[in-house]
Amino acid sequence: MNFTDFNVDEFFGLNDDTSLFMMLIWILPVVIFIFYGQRIQLQITGAEIKKSIKKLDTFKTQSRIQLLDYIQHNCNPKTESTQSIDQMLDYFSIPPVDLDPNGIIPKIKHVIRLREDYTRNNIKSIMPDISDEQLNKIQTLLEITTSLKMIYKIINHLFLTAKKQNNYPLILPLQMMLPFIMEEATASYKAIAAFKADQPIGDSIGPIVVGKMMLNTSKTEIAFQTVMSRVDYDDRRLILLKARGPSSNVGRIADALHEIIKDTKLDAIIMVDAALKYEGEDSADISQGFGAAIGGVGTERFDIEQIATDQGIPIFAVIVKQSVVEAITLMTRDIAQKADQTRDRVYELLQNNTKPGNTVLVIGVGNTIGVPQ
Amino acid sequence: MIFSKKEIIIAYTVEKCNLCKKQNKRKFKEGDILFSKCDSCQCGGVFEIDMIYGQAL
Repeated sequence: MNFTDFNVDEFFGLNDDTSLFMMLIWILPVVIFIFYGQRIQLQITGAEIKKSIKKLDTFKTQSRIQLLDYIQHNCNPKTESTQSIDQMLDYFSIPPVDLDPNGIIPKIKHVIRLREDYTRNNIKSIMPDISDEQLNKIQTLLEITTSLKMIYKIINHLFLTAKKQNNYPLILPLQMMLPFIMEEATASYKAIAAFKADQPIGDSIGPIVVGKMMLNTSKTEIAFQTVMSRVDYDDRRLILLKARGPSSNVGRIADALHEIIKDTKLDAIIMVDAALKYEGEDSADISQGFGAAIGGVGTERFDIEQIATDQGIPIFAVIVKQSVVEAITLMTRDIAQKADQTRDRVYELLQNNTKPGNTVLVIGVGNTIGVPQ
Repeated sequence: MIFSKKEIIIAYTVEKCNLCKKQNKRKFKEGDILFSKCDSCQCGGVFEIDMIYGQAL
């Protein structure tokens, strides 16, 4: 090959009929994308994210309006409640420092309980005549509205930070996570209607199973907003435990367990709960396993596991699989139809894994909205 | 988007007779609570609310 007769004009096509204008048509965009490509991508991605932020803003505003409307029309507030509710929407909790995590669980529990108790007291001071059920409902609606507000603030902050610094890579994590965040935010917003109407949600499957077992038995309140009853099944002594319904609350299962073990020797614990399914799994599938099936930040689970380990009590879990959306919105038909099957699975577990004469604690874990006992 | 449909969820209550187990599905109304007693059944039993769920239209 001969490289000595290299001709620049021929190489760039300047000798033939190609005009300078046509050359600019294709070379100019290439140059623009090389120098300004990231900014253009930032603009396009930013426009998509802005749409989602606008939706989050709507959720935040509408949930606040629905909460204030509910309070005005149903709770007969003593004083003007809007300012107090807006203050409560801005409450924050500072988690304990975790540089030395030893002993952190009681600190987290203390901060969470503090927030719950003081919010409850503040609501009661605005509306002294409301019932416990309505108080729990307002607390739940307040939590939903607060979390929607927080989601909006965080996403908006990340977006504006990336835009301010014209930093495209900074917006990429937000773009990747946004579909998951929007799914949860949409589900939370839809959950408001179910909570206002006292309709059971997907997470209520545990209380439904145990609540049905508790019908026509005598109940006692063993811990704050947590009820217990004793029944016999197939020569086993069952202690049934769930949050007190039909108000919206999850009870204090760990505190109840502390009380029960003071005078009762447990041979097994069975926990019935909703659990998140993987993509591709069918909703409402029932599964069985080992360990404490309880959600939340982990303080209750820590206590239950500690007691079970100290006393050598086996813990069995029966879960009903569902998506995040199904867990916090009105219960679907598939999940509702599985309540009896789940109860039968619990009985099967009792027969296969315990002996006659054993004392077994059966816990219905979850939000007990719309589920009495 | 122009072709996306908003899902409409309707809440239903299913009542079940405690004797003959006959089921009766109706729309949810305010005040419906699980396990509560409703009307009498033709067999002499009592309908109790067995399920409350949402179904897409």
